[in-house]
Amino acid sequence: MNPITPIINGLKITLAHLFKKPVTLQYPDERPKVAERFRGLHALKVSHSKAKCVACYLCPTVCPAKCITVEAGEDASHDKFAARYEIDMLRCIFCGYCVEACPVDALKMTGEFELANYRREDFIYTKERLLEKK
Amino acid sequence: MVNLTIDDKQVTAPKNATIYEAAKANGIKIPILCHDKKLKPFGACRMCLVEVEQMKGRQIPACTTPATEGMIIRTSTPEIVKARKMVLELLLLNHPIDCPVCDKGGDCDLQNLTYEYKVDANRFVDEKFHLDIDYANPLIERDMNRCVLCGKCARICDEIVSFGAYTFINRGIETKMGCEFDEALNCEFCGSCVSVCPVGSLLARPFKFKARWWALTKQKSVCSYCGTGCNLTLGVKDNKVLTTVYDENQGFHNGQLCCRGRFGYQFINSDKRLTAPLVRKNGVLVETGWDEALEIVVGRLKGGIAVAALATPRMTNEELVLFKRLMETVGSPNYDHSAGYAHAALTKGFARSFGTSASPSTILDIQKSDLLLVIKTDAYETHPVVGFEINLAVKNRGVKLNLLSDKRGKLSKLPGAKTLVHTPGSEIAVINAIAKSILDAKLADGSAVAVPGYADLEQALAGFTPEAVAAQSGLSAAQIKELAADYAQAEKALIIFPIGLAYAGHDSEFASAVANLAILTGKLGREGCGVLCMAEKNNSQGAVDMGFYAPLGGMDAGRIIDGCASGAVKTLFIAGENPAVSYPDHARVQAALYKVECLIVSDLFLTETAAQADVVLPACSFAEKEGTFTSVDRRVQYFKPAIRKIGQSRSDFEIFAALIARLGGQAPASPAAAFAEITAATPAYTGMSYASLGEQGAFAAVTVKPALIAPQAPAPAGAPGKLALVVGSALYHNGTMSQHGEGPMYVCPEGYVELSRGDAARLGIADNDLLTVASATGSVKLKAKVSLRMPEGVLFTPYHFGATPVNQVWSGAAVTWVTLDK
Repeated sequence: MNPITPIINGLKITLAHLFKKPVTLQYPDERPKVAERFRGLHALKVSHSKAKCVACYLCPTVCPAKCITVEAGEDASHDKFAARYEIDMLRCIFCGYCVEACPVDALKMTGEFELANYRREDFIYTKERLLEKK
Repeated sequence: MVNLTIDDKQVTAPKNATIYEAAKANGIKIPILCHDKKLKPFGACRMCLVEVEQMKGRQIPACTTPATEGMIIRTSTPEIVKARKMVLELLLLNHPIDCPVCDKGGDCDLQNLTYEYKVDANRFVDEKFHLDIDYANPLIERDMNRCVLCGKCARICDEIVSFGAYTFINRGIETKMGCEFDEALNCEFCGSCVSVCPVGSLLARPFKFKARWWALTKQKSVCSYCGTGCNLTLGVKDNKVLTTVYDENQGFHNGQLCCRGRFGYQFINSDKRLTAPLVRKNGVLVETGWDEALEIVVGRLKGGIAVAALATPRMTNEELVLFKRLMETVGSPNYDHSAGYAHAALTKGFARSFGTSASPSTILDIQKSDLLLVIKTDAYETHPVVGFEINLAVKNRGVKLNLLSDKRGKLSKLPGAKTLVHTPGSEIAVINAIAKSILDAKLADGSAVAVPGYADLEQALAGFTPEAVAAQSGLSAAQIKELAADYAQAEKALIIFPIGLAYAGHDSEFASAVANLAILTGKLGREGCGVLCMAEKNNSQGAVDMGFYAPLGGMDAGRIIDGCASGAVKTLFIAGENPAVSYPDHARVQAALYKVECLIVSDLFLTETAAQADVVLPACSFAEKEGTFTSVDRRVQYFKPAIRKIGQSRSDFEIFAALIARLGGQAPASPAAAFAEITAATPAYTGMSYASLGEQGAFAAVTVKPALIAPQAPAPAGAPGKLALVVGSALYHNGTMSQHGEGPMYVCPEGYVELSRGDAARLGIADNDLLTVASATGSVKLKAKVSLRMPEGVLFTPYHFGATPVNQVWSGAAVTWVTLDK
């Protein structure tokens, strides 16, 4: 066989594809449609303008990756709240057990998946960053 | 023993056992909510219902029904499970089920039973309670909405603590646990109620929301406050001791603790802990490395002629032995602990009267005795858990209680307690008078005559007729004779008294006088008899056993202090003591600390003493090291570290070992090796090892060789127009270390002077007035506390506080004569 033939055959296929509809998602120009039950970045739900979380420590207890740090505090009316709530996204395996364990439905997982960052510190999501944006 | 059948299993049980106890002893679990092994059966919760065939299959509570011969019992038939489920449903009807925010979650009996019996729905509907939560005190939070009315808090507070802070109030569905007049809780804050609460109604506030129960590592340890030797379980998370965990099976005291034991652990992880060695440069203490600090210390210790050492009896036996070895390596015989006199009752008094420097009796004898003679009601304040044992003995076992004290106290309120309040400083004369009455009334035991010193004692007591002593002691001769007869005629009788820095009057003469009573009446060497001398600190007995007090030719603590001032001592090594606050005569101690050329202090904190030092070595607390403590009743107990050492701190064992090595000596490689040396060198400790001590500990052997010693009683003193000040311990404090425990400082934050109502009225003093207390030694400003228990003309003040150093007025005398001014 002429050694050029396979190259030409290959280029034909390439050329044909130039006129077809692209198979892959054209990220970042196109955004993926995230499924409703997708397990992305966590969010702390807000109710009456404060976090619903009561710092019961069930999520750090159930977390298999040990990525959640909670420290409870006592507010002015002697109630329990999360004085510190941090998730280390470098350790998180997005299993969603934390959401399942939550007895007060204070935690959810959002469709947010763009979690890349430049510095390690930026992967520690503090309570302020985790609070649900509306 | 009775034979019965539980769940088709043939079992035997003791005659007085209940069905619950019989089942438990044979490994059959019956669920309970309101029962506690320390308390009397109550039968409130109906969780322990079982079926007894002989009772026509009726459901009866296992915790209150005695097991009888031939009983056939079933503990988990479908009917019983149904009944228990209903009980839980009814309890959960009003329970808020706020488990996520309740600190009890994970350790909650109600939660565990609900889970076990799968109660996931409720057939009934009712409103939850909306009672106010009691946040008034900083130690115990009371949320009566969660209460299941088991009554354990009220019962433990009554039966064991004997305070009676709680009771059921209201009726029917409105019933709740309340304090007096339904006000906020205001008690002695031992936290016993918190420990037994099966739900989250009573919670420890210092631990509130700090961690979940399951996240804590539980490390068993031994309390480092008083000499009772209570066992603790420390709850540890992230290298921090966050709480003490209740374990009903721990120690002779079944997990009971006092305020400082339960709520005073915060000194371990205090921010104020020393984390690096400090060296004085240009007049200022600056941080340095261990090498430099140890080199300076070695440089000062070498040669050793003018070197002296003071140690705290809070150190382990191993550390005390090593400290002694360090002084021997240096070649100095000048070492002592606790102001020299605090343990003279043991080292001198008991040594000559009993031929051993330890108490012949143990705390366990309290329950086996028929009569307790407690000298100083302060025994409750100095050793609260021993106080609980006394409460139990008196209330449950009908043990008679006689008190001889310079003031009344909590023990005086026990049923049938007889309190003789004598004038301060006359205790030895009164005890001698009791001995004299025993001899006169021919109540002495036949064996007494053969004891060496009998004739001399008889002669020496001639002047102590009850009538003569009555005049100076403020008692009547009849009272003294009655007490003597009570004591001598009891089948078994035990004498208990505290000693310590603040109890200067409880010296060797006093100890011999007390020992005479036991020897004369033959109340020695038998169960429930003898004398229990309760030393102040956790390892006071150990310090005595290890011989860490001035040997022949060495200086004792008093002479060391004077030697510093005179220049005879040039280097003073203080390990853990805080003489600036705790030793008598502030001016004398300050002069010594100021004049001594080089002051080396190893301590947890920059104490009033350490602040004046040239070298400060950061030591670590009991929670960071291993070793053994010996309790007042000779129980040697081993404990392990619960957390890693804080900062650069080192255990005193490591510090002394490093110094010995640098001085060219040989030190044991580990505390275990040091303990092996102790067991080889100390006969009482023979055969012990860390492994054999285990969690229970072991009693050091004691051999008593009684001798009757004629004790010298101090001449009755008095100063016209002045008041008698006696120094002592407050219930919430022990030594000066409890100032770093949050619990004790919440309840008792500062020094005070306690005076009678009569004196207060006469001098126009009200509670909390700031008074100037002045003696020949100096003066100090203290808040007034008017109380019912003080006799007129007598003042009491605790000595623990650095902010109000009582040693400015107190020069170490048993009684200080003072004036009070507003």
